[in-house]
Amino acid sequence: MIRKRSITVALTLLFAGASTVVLLALGFVISSSVEKHFEEQDMEVLAAKMKLTRHTLERFTMASDLNQITQPLNDALVGHHGLDLIVYEQKGASVYSTQSATFPKELVTMNAVNRPNKPFTWQAGGQSYRGIADVVQIGTGTGRKMIVATSINIMHHLAFMQSFVHTLWAFVAAAAALSGLLGWAAVRRGLLPLRTMREQAQVVTAQQLNRRLKMDAVPVELEDLAQSLNDMLARLEEAFERLSDFSSDIAHELRTPVSNLMTETQVALTRVRSAEEYRNILESNAEEFDHMARMISDMLLLAKSENSLVASNCSQITLAIEVTALFDYYDAVAEEKGLRLILEGDAMVNADKTMLRRAIGNVLSNAIRHSAPNTSLRVRISEGAGQVTMQIANTGDMIPPEYLERIFDRFFRLDTARQRSDGTGLGLAIARSIIMAHGGTVSASSAGDVTTFFIKLPLI
Amino acid sequence: MKILIVEDEPKTGDYLKQGLTEAGFVADLVRNGSDGLHSALTEDYDLVILDVMLPGIDGWAVLAGIRRSGKDVCVLFLTARDHVDDRVKGLELGADDYLVKPFAFSELLARVRTLLRRGAKVSAADFLEVSNLHLDLMRRRVTREGKRIDLTAKEFALLELLLRRQGEVLPRSLIASQVWDMNFDSDTNVIEVAMRRLRAKVDDDFEPKLIRTVRGMGYVLETPDCA
Repeated sequence: MIRKRSITVALTLLFAGASTVVLLALGFVISSSVEKHFEEQDMEVLAAKMKLTRHTLERFTMASDLNQITQPLNDALVGHHGLDLIVYEQKGASVYSTQSATFPKELVTMNAVNRPNKPFTWQAGGQSYRGIADVVQIGTGTGRKMIVATSINIMHHLAFMQSFVHTLWAFVAAAAALSGLLGWAAVRRGLLPLRTMREQAQVVTAQQLNRRLKMDAVPVELEDLAQSLNDMLARLEEAFERLSDFSSDIAHELRTPVSNLMTETQVALTRVRSAEEYRNILESNAEEFDHMARMISDMLLLAKSENSLVASNCSQITLAIEVTALFDYYDAVAEEKGLRLILEGDAMVNADKTMLRRAIGNVLSNAIRHSAPNTSLRVRISEGAGQVTMQIANTGDMIPPEYLERIFDRFFRLDTARQRSDGTGLGLAIARSIIMAHGGTVSASSAGDVTTFFIKLPLI
Repeated sequence: MKILIVEDEPKTGDYLKQGLTEAGFVADLVRNGSDGLHSALTEDYDLVILDVMLPGIDGWAVLAGIRRSGKDVCVLFLTARDHVDDRVKGLELGADDYLVKPFAFSELLARVRTLLRRGAKVSAADFLEVSNLHLDLMRRRVTREGKRIDLTAKEFALLELLLRRQGEVLPRSLIASQVWDMNFDSDTNVIEVAMRRLRAKVDDDFEPKLIRTVRGMGYVLETPDCA
């Protein structure tokens, strides 16, 4: 199971981790510079002693005098506690050695020959030492060489460093814990607006979709999120309203035909009638049923296209061919009205053929129906700005501007007196939702006696 | 022609049986899937009308059973849900056609006749004739009582459809689909107008009147004495 990430835990760990790393790095820098400082201090003392010893030895000329060397070297060492000195011939016994000297001779010889005057360390008898070694000529012209080494006990330095490091570790641990705690508190406080948002969101229900998150209380960083959530709520509210409008529209639109059928049938049944009368009633009922069945299938199509389920079988469509086929279909109706159907231009679009035909057909039949007799109806197809535009312009009564948007609503009829005389009142709504499902738009404009519908579809 | 109806909804089943019987078919009705499968396999039917939502064995299983048996019978299924999945499933299982409820009975009748005709040979005649109306399919020419009638291409196609299926009530949606390839119900009275114009040319000046409107259902071409 994957555990969900907690922002508080993650940020707390991040704070603690970051401060640990920073403090550890700082501790490392401090301890290494302290150690370097100690080493330089030691080297200063050791180098001075080496210089003094070299001078003392160089002043001697005779081999026999070597026994007299003890006194001046003793003098040179006076006052230096923890400082040791050894002088010996490369292949022989010690000429001089302080009492507490612990020099490992092989290491000293190797350093004197290979790394003269460079520090090295060793341990002996539970103590640690740092020393330098060199090869020194006795007198001038004698050719005798001695190995000289000085050392200093660095035990107290090491002890200091150890306790320093211990303290550092403890400090780092405490500081990390503290910053983690502070981080935790800061994050909890910082996330407080989120909890407020949650509480506000919790009271939103289907009945209260008009509620919104309060933007003034939201910190800058969360403004986008709160805005997005509010937008989502707005969309949900709209969809929800549309859905409940849809249900009430259906109920309302079905009420009339159902009540017609009911009354007609009940009246017919009140007494015995002739076969001819029954026949008339049944035929009238059949028409009513046909109307209802069409409305139901239109409603279903509308529901599907509003959920963009109709653009599933797309192919490249030549618009001029489709419009010509539709002109053919509406030819008889247009001719009865004395309409001239004119097509200009052409373009290709990607669409579901049956659905696109239906959408254009609905707009076209609407335009034909509202055309004044003996006028022209013009369909103009053009390409430009990444889209294909189809303009369907007819001459007839002007649509008042306030209705231009509403004519695409379900069951909207400009002329209420003509209700139910033609169709289900869903034609333009279906056209719009089909075009929208194809990523396009439908709009209308009306000026003077010319009304133009614009169908815009994305260019292939 | 024998038709088996498998439909559990009592009223629908009864009116389908009555309607088909009155249209001249021999129709049997069973009300559940297992009876339907049994009847379809043991008796010789030309067509099975199958409701998809059935108690017990559902329509899909009946359809699959019929196809598995290798019996050569047309199947038309009825569904209340207009989902692409449903249609695809039905056709994949080997159904020949489908209808979405609610449907017009005239539509069902037209589909049934189309399916049953599918097996028969298409008439390759060059002429169609009823009463004193004469269609020359090769020369696209119509005469009545020997007089030439001028029709547009679509009017000719419309008349040909009516003539080929004389005696059948053709619903508007079927006419729109067959003549204009428009598979939707227009909210404009396109078919009415086209039919009116056709009748003005073919029927108005002649007797007997051949084309008749059946209110709420569609149009039919028939000689009046056999009505």
